[in-house]
Amino acid sequence: MKKCMLVLLILIPLLTGCWDKRELNELGITLAIGIDKVEGEYQVTTQVVVPSEISMKTSTGRSPVILFQEKGETVYEAFRKITKTSPRKIYPGHLRMLVLGEDLAEEGIAESLELMSRYRELRSDFFVAIAKDRTAEEVLNVRTTIESIPANKMFNSLQTSEASWAATNGIKLDELIASMTSDGKEAVLTGILVTGDQEKGSSKKNVESINPSARIVYDELAVFKKDKLVGWLTERESRGYNGIVNEVQNSVTAISCPEEGKATIEIIQADTKMKGKINKGKPEVDVNIKVKGNVGEVECQINLNDLDTIVELEKITEKQMEETVNLTIETLQKQYKSDIFGFGEAIHRSNPKEWKKLKEHWDEEFAGMTVNVKVDVKLVHTGTEGNSFLEKIEVK
Amino acid sequence: MGFFKKKSYSKLHANSISTSQMMKPGSTNELKINLQENIKRIKDSLGKSSDIIIREIRFGKEESIKAGIIYTDGLTDTTSLQNFILETLMIDINGTELQKKLSPDQNLISVLKDFAMTVGEIKELTNFEELFTGLLSGDTIILIDGYAQGLIISNKHWVERGVTEASAQVVVRGPREGFSENLRVNTALVRRRLKDPNLWMESKVIGKRTKTNVAMMYIKGIANDKIVKEVRLRLDKIDIDGILESGNIEELIQDAPYSPFPTIFNTERSDVVAAALLEGRVAILVDGTPFVLIVPALFVQFFQSSEDYYQRADIASLIRLLRFFAFAIAMLAPALFIAITTFNHTMLPTGLLISLAAQREGAPFPAFVEAIIMEVTFEILREAGLRMPRNIGSAISIVGAFVIGTAAVEAGIISAAMVIVVSITAISSFVSPTYNLAISGRMLRFGFMALAASFGLLGITIGLIALLLHLCSLRSFGVPYMSSIAPFNLSDQKDTFILLPIWKMFTRPRLISQQNIVRQQDSASAKPEPPINKRV
Repeated sequence: MKKCMLVLLILIPLLTGCWDKRELNELGITLAIGIDKVEGEYQVTTQVVVPSEISMKTSTGRSPVILFQEKGETVYEAFRKITKTSPRKIYPGHLRMLVLGEDLAEEGIAESLELMSRYRELRSDFFVAIAKDRTAEEVLNVRTTIESIPANKMFNSLQTSEASWAATNGIKLDELIASMTSDGKEAVLTGILVTGDQEKGSSKKNVESINPSARIVYDELAVFKKDKLVGWLTERESRGYNGIVNEVQNSVTAISCPEEGKATIEIIQADTKMKGKINKGKPEVDVNIKVKGNVGEVECQINLNDLDTIVELEKITEKQMEETVNLTIETLQKQYKSDIFGFGEAIHRSNPKEWKKLKEHWDEEFAGMTVNVKVDVKLVHTGTEGNSFLEKIEVK
Repeated sequence: MGFFKKKSYSKLHANSISTSQMMKPGSTNELKINLQENIKRIKDSLGKSSDIIIREIRFGKEESIKAGIIYTDGLTDTTSLQNFILETLMIDINGTELQKKLSPDQNLISVLKDFAMTVGEIKELTNFEELFTGLLSGDTIILIDGYAQGLIISNKHWVERGVTEASAQVVVRGPREGFSENLRVNTALVRRRLKDPNLWMESKVIGKRTKTNVAMMYIKGIANDKIVKEVRLRLDKIDIDGILESGNIEELIQDAPYSPFPTIFNTERSDVVAAALLEGRVAILVDGTPFVLIVPALFVQFFQSSEDYYQRADIASLIRLLRFFAFAIAMLAPALFIAITTFNHTMLPTGLLISLAAQREGAPFPAFVEAIIMEVTFEILREAGLRMPRNIGSAISIVGAFVIGTAAVEAGIISAAMVIVVSITAISSFVSPTYNLAISGRMLRFGFMALAASFGLLGITIGLIALLLHLCSLRSFGVPYMSSIAPFNLSDQKDTFILLPIWKMFTRPRLISQQNIVRQQDSASAKPEPPINKRV
């Protein structure tokens, strides 16, 4: 009898199993979500993959993704309403991109992100971007080629440009929330925009043409104050920002040669040390950037075989980078009064007591604080050539 | 538990037939003085079976001695019967000194035994039990009128399979010979590999009707006495009418009858038996089967092939790791696939998720049902392939490959990924060097699939924990089944997951042979060192 009971006890849980089972063909795999604010309501747009169009075998040439859109008082309500139009329940577990409309960003993004950080099916490793001059819906409504799923195209080009150009910065949800909630740091988000004719972008023609009429492009960084968008950085400022917050992995930068012409330095390694201190009651931050680079391109007459030339190039690069960084800091101090660099955090780390006094009016302190920027450049290689062949052409 | 109620077999027991039942009621077991009476009784007991030959002869001084020669046709060597018994008694003896001795006033039995019979093994017998056992195992019986004794002459000979290549445990490098059905040949094969006087053998007869010869072999001084005693005890406890294969004995003496895991190792290779004996294990050889049992058996032992020890240790280690990995695949692959595709989608890389989802478009069954269909189809094919006559086998493989591989996918019943998973599982289940552990994995696979379909990865994890607990609770003849892993033993790691070169194996497995642990002395002498800096 006991044995019988034991067997039954083991079998009973099997009856309750499967309740949350979802077969792969019951998932509406969503790789990108856009949130806009339209007429006081949240408008949620999901880009759902059509799996049979991705597979080589069953593809019929129809769009590989489909948009579903609903409005609601809250994000979650709108999100759930999508089941009215979608045959499958939206599965955002593999979300790669969250695009927020510019209008929403100006009003504040915090409320719309709450669901994203709470929802149990979501991982927090997707990128968040702001649709510049557009609604999020418009950004999601563009077909792409090479990566036929637009969300993948957005994810991959953000990853690669972040790694090798350093004007963009892929911000993931948890980083974003961390900087929004921090006292001494404001948030930035990368901007995403659609160039060309957005109307044509959603049709198949867009990917059939060798030069698509609409493209998704990453642009500069958006500056936030708390959760509100206050403005945009230029490309140069964006790179300056990435230099200060130690986000440069690899990049190239054009410099002027000692006499005339241009040269390009390839940054292969950059390391930034930020140190906050209180000097005579005033907050101060030292930013030391150590850069290792290569001479990537020479479009002028210089003798690379001479070590002095290299030293000279290093000096020029240092100066130019310092200028960029200072310009960025100045813009943020004067124009936006938003401490996106985390100088406040640096002060907090080095002097918590003083920080308690400063943080109440940190925006004013930030605007007026001194930042000592020092860039140290080391050039290590000159590529596969010594002096440029341009030299020989000039001689003739 | 009404349907599992134990029936009382005690009444049936009383009816069970032993040798004494073959005799007339009321008669004693002892031989009679009268030859005719004895012969009659043999005839009655054996139901006048046509292969029992009873020959009555007269010989000796003035042909005064009446004797009966009884043997089983087909089991007895008739040539030696002719040459050494009949001719000796009836022809050669005439006119010799011996003939004079063979007179009724002498003790004929001992005279015959000591002087007349030119054969090797000869015994006196006094009762019918011995007579029948000997007669039916191929011995020749001589009964003499006037004596309540007889002679039993061992000249068994029957047609049998010779020593052939082991077919169930194949190796590339290593001895080819496998055991045969003859116990004597098998013990000889082991004896030939271990010329150690300490290699002891204990013989037993098990099975009331089959009277199967069973031999227990161990090396005295290496094998743990407690284990030897335990084996002896368990063998003696067997009370059954027939043992037809060592598998019968295995089931009767194993530690955990309900466990899916085998706690007794079996092999048909003499080198494996010799190696096991050297490690201090006990071998049980059963007449009539080439499969020899080895106890105690450990979990890791089932992943070891004799070839591991004949190859370089590095490749053997890698292959052994591969076997553990393949076992895990064979047991878990379909379950993991089900769990991940129906519950834990987040674990898949995005690209794979989309590609798998594309394959599942339009699939009519849930992943679990798909997996069950495919696994059962495969098991059917496998069983059909095994049992079919060999020349029809190829037809099955063609149909099977077509059904499993192509048609099911193209008809849209099964998704292509499932076919890959099932194939990988099937191939992995063939990697195991021992058939019986592969079977455990095969059975557990279905349990894990059910767990995965109900609870996802959580279910698999719980199943694995339960399995591990079960494995750790098993013992084989007193030795923990998982030993050298749990309980952990550092020195035995040399032959667990990886294999060290033979010159690094100084000791025998700890828990098996607790006495006489050292195999070879120290590394200084064992490690091969070529004479460096010396020109040869």
